Amino acid sequence: MPSQKIPKICLFFEAHQPNRLKPYSFFHIGNDPFYEDDQLNQDILNQVSENCYLPANQLFTKLIEESEGDFCFSMSLSGVLIEQLEHHRPDVLQSFQKLHATGGVELLGETYHHSMDFQLSPVEFARQVKLHEAKIQEHFGVTPTSYRHSEMVYYNELAKFVGQMGYKIMLAEGVPHILGGRSPNHLYRSPTVKSMKVLPRHSSLSDDLSHRFPHKSWEGYPLTPDKYASWCADSGGQILNLFMDYESIGERIPAASGIFEFWEQFPTAWKKRKGQFSQVNELTRHHSKGIYDCHTPTSWAGEEKDLSPWRGNEMQREARQKILLMEDAIKERNDPELLHQWAKMHTSDHFHFMSTKEETAGKTPHDLRPYDTPYDAYIFFMNALSDLQLRLESRGPVNAGKS
Amino acid sequence: MKVLMLGWEFPPLINGGLGIACLGLSRAMSQKLELSFIIPKIDPEYFVDRLELIGLNHLESQSFDRLRLEKNLATFGEVNWVEGSLVGGLQPYGSAKPQEHTNYSEYRAWVQEKISHLPKHGKLTQKLEAQGLAEKLTMFREDSLYGDDVGDKVWSYGQVAASIAEERDFDLIHAHDWMTFIAGMEIKRRTGKPLVLHVHSLNYDRGGPDSYGWIYDIEKEAMEMADLVIPVSQYTGTICTGHYGIDPAKVHFVHNGADPVTTYRSESPFKKGLVLFLGRLTGQKGPEFFLEIAAKVLEKNPHVFFVMAGTGEQMRKLIEYGAYRNVGDRLHFTGFLNKEKVNKLLSMTDVYCMPSVSEPFGLSAIEAAQFGIPAVISKQSGVSEVLTRARKADYWDIDLMAEHIHELLTNPEAREEAIRISLEDQKNCTWEVAAQKVISLYHKHLSL
Repeated sequence: MPSQKIPKICLFFEAHQPNRLKPYSFFHIGNDPFYEDDQLNQDILNQVSENCYLPANQLFTKLIEESEGDFCFSMSLSGVLIEQLEHHRPDVLQSFQKLHATGGVELLGETYHHSMDFQLSPVEFARQVKLHEAKIQEHFGVTPTSYRHSEMVYYNELAKFVGQMGYKIMLAEGVPHILGGRSPNHLYRSPTVKSMKVLPRHSSLSDDLSHRFPHKSWEGYPLTPDKYASWCADSGGQILNLFMDYESIGERIPAASGIFEFWEQFPTAWKKRKGQFSQVNELTRHHSKGIYDCHTPTSWAGEEKDLSPWRGNEMQREARQKILLMEDAIKERNDPELLHQWAKMHTSDHFHFMSTKEETAGKTPHDLRPYDTPYDAYIFFMNALSDLQLRLESRGPVNAGKS
Repeated sequence: MKVLMLGWEFPPLINGGLGIACLGLSRAMSQKLELSFIIPKIDPEYFVDRLELIGLNHLESQSFDRLRLEKNLATFGEVNWVEGSLVGGLQPYGSAKPQEHTNYSEYRAWVQEKISHLPKHGKLTQKLEAQGLAEKLTMFREDSLYGDDVGDKVWSYGQVAASIAEERDFDLIHAHDWMTFIAGMEIKRRTGKPLVLHVHSLNYDRGGPDSYGWIYDIEKEAMEMADLVIPVSQYTGTICTGHYGIDPAKVHFVHNGADPVTTYRSESPFKKGLVLFLGRLTGQKGPEFFLEIAAKVLEKNPHVFFVMAGTGEQMRKLIEYGAYRNVGDRLHFTGFLNKEKVNKLLSMTDVYCMPSVSEPFGLSAIEAAQFGIPAVISKQSGVSEVLTRARKADYWDIDLMAEHIHELLTNPEAREEAIRISLEDQKNCTWEVAAQKVISLYHKHLSL
């Protein structure tokens, strides 16, 4: 069928590194105002830079330049990652700037601290999004117009709020029960804000590249650019949304598996089939196919596509709630450093490390967790939180009239 | 007077309070009489003045005197024979059936035949080998003295210790806790010497009143056979006589002592108070009650901090429950702490809380008192008989416990008074006093 239309590929990468906490014991409380494991964070940043950021940036810069405008994609860099790069790897930050300067990369908006909580404090959420916009403007000279929330979290209320902040389009996980039998390969819109467009991720084709690619037991192995291009062409619809972690290239999926060679050859393989690439913001002009009506938060995690990896147990619930309860007191203090330290504790990874999901399911524990158990993650977090509370109290009330 | 002591733990290789108590008591007693201590595992670098330590993991240097053994076998004789077959009927599942003898002459003939080829003076290990016990020693070179095969270890310890005992001179056997009670009974059967049992902890304390089983059986049979039972408190004595039905005439408690420590105070960041729980996170110690007490105190005084120092099988459950009760930023867990860290914690603590469900003694409350920390302790504890004027409540009485803590944290006069009293109360709590009482009991009840 030579006349069959094939979808445009909308490629998106998320780049992020959290500020992991050190094993902050009870005896640190009141004595150590530094919660982060600087050495570990620096070591991991260096490792990911060598394995992923530098070679991937170099490769994509080359591909964009060679394609003369045909190859393009979207990506987001969390504020906390940019901050780490500023401090430890300005060379890597430059390589991102160089990549962006090709004109083939759109940068998306998100929360500066890679946080997840919108429900509990829309005010703080908006502050973090604005902070991220400012950071992107500072280093890349642009202000994002498309939005992607941490861990691909999406639901109506969030989309409405993001729309009110001026964003026109937002990424989401293509959750089967929300799609209700429809293909994710279309542009949808939010039910509450007419102008807010939604792009649902194609889970299986995205996961083929970001997870299954190196596994020899997988039936698709070895995945060649041509084979993958044929799958993409056959996936139907108008837009194929492939969203994944940037770190999957070279870090989670090692270079030895041939992942770089795959990416190097894929744009050509796609072009051979007359396929096109598109950035997220270009799609806002399209007409939406229908309404994507998502009442409860969904994410790109696991089979359930919900928030259970971050909110699945009481430890996560309490830690998240306790940090947010400090908002007013922290902000009253008007101390930028304290505010920043507090905000960095919103990073979703802290709560992910406390997840007991994989343990109860009998699977291997979270391979990225820097502590032995989720209980340790909770203990260190709560110890640091107590220290932050004490520091807040010890400075006394700002206004003597208030208590 | 020569005492043969049987113990399971001894410093520096300790798991809990048992080893500390054994050291404290035996060191004080050895100033007044001759004392040998048979222990499964010793650190050969560790010496205690005037105390002979015999470790089953280090028997190479121990010698054996065949003539003395033969003399002992003759003197012990029929007169000392205690009813019952040797290596009696209590046997944990899975262990091989040992050699049994129904009367003393049969046993004596067996031993004499086994040792007949040995030199007059040799190594103790040669004798153990002749009796088929040498292979039993390997299990005491392992790391843990507990674990799934604790029954086998207890059984092997009994056989080896009895073999060592039969060629030694002593006037009485003094065994500490159930792990050594089989050995104690076996030695009494072979030698006819009086048996003293020191009860630091019972199956009742560890498993609750409904917990029966082979350990309970060992404890009961041994206490019935013993000539004198020394629980570490009156509270534990009532469990021996009540729950185990032991004749009160031979049950006489002696409180533990406490070694003096160098105490200090350090600055605490917890200005509104720090309340400490110190112990294994296991049902017996009542950690879940501590958590409830903390939640109760925090209702009234949200700036108090609580800390649970220790580890145990309930730790994860407690962490999750603490999060559920929303006290995770006020109740902190430290995990296992070494002595230095424990002292550091004590130096910052404002109130010590011990809500044990059943605590035979509770040395840590004394240690807290030495640090000048007022204690709130459960009535179901031996230490409440020593710290007679400390604040007490039933372990389940969360309201009263919380009230006590709240008062000690908010009423400076009550606090000063409580500190003064606890410093006074703990003064008489020494190992010298305990040792003297034990020796008096020997004289009075064993006619020695």
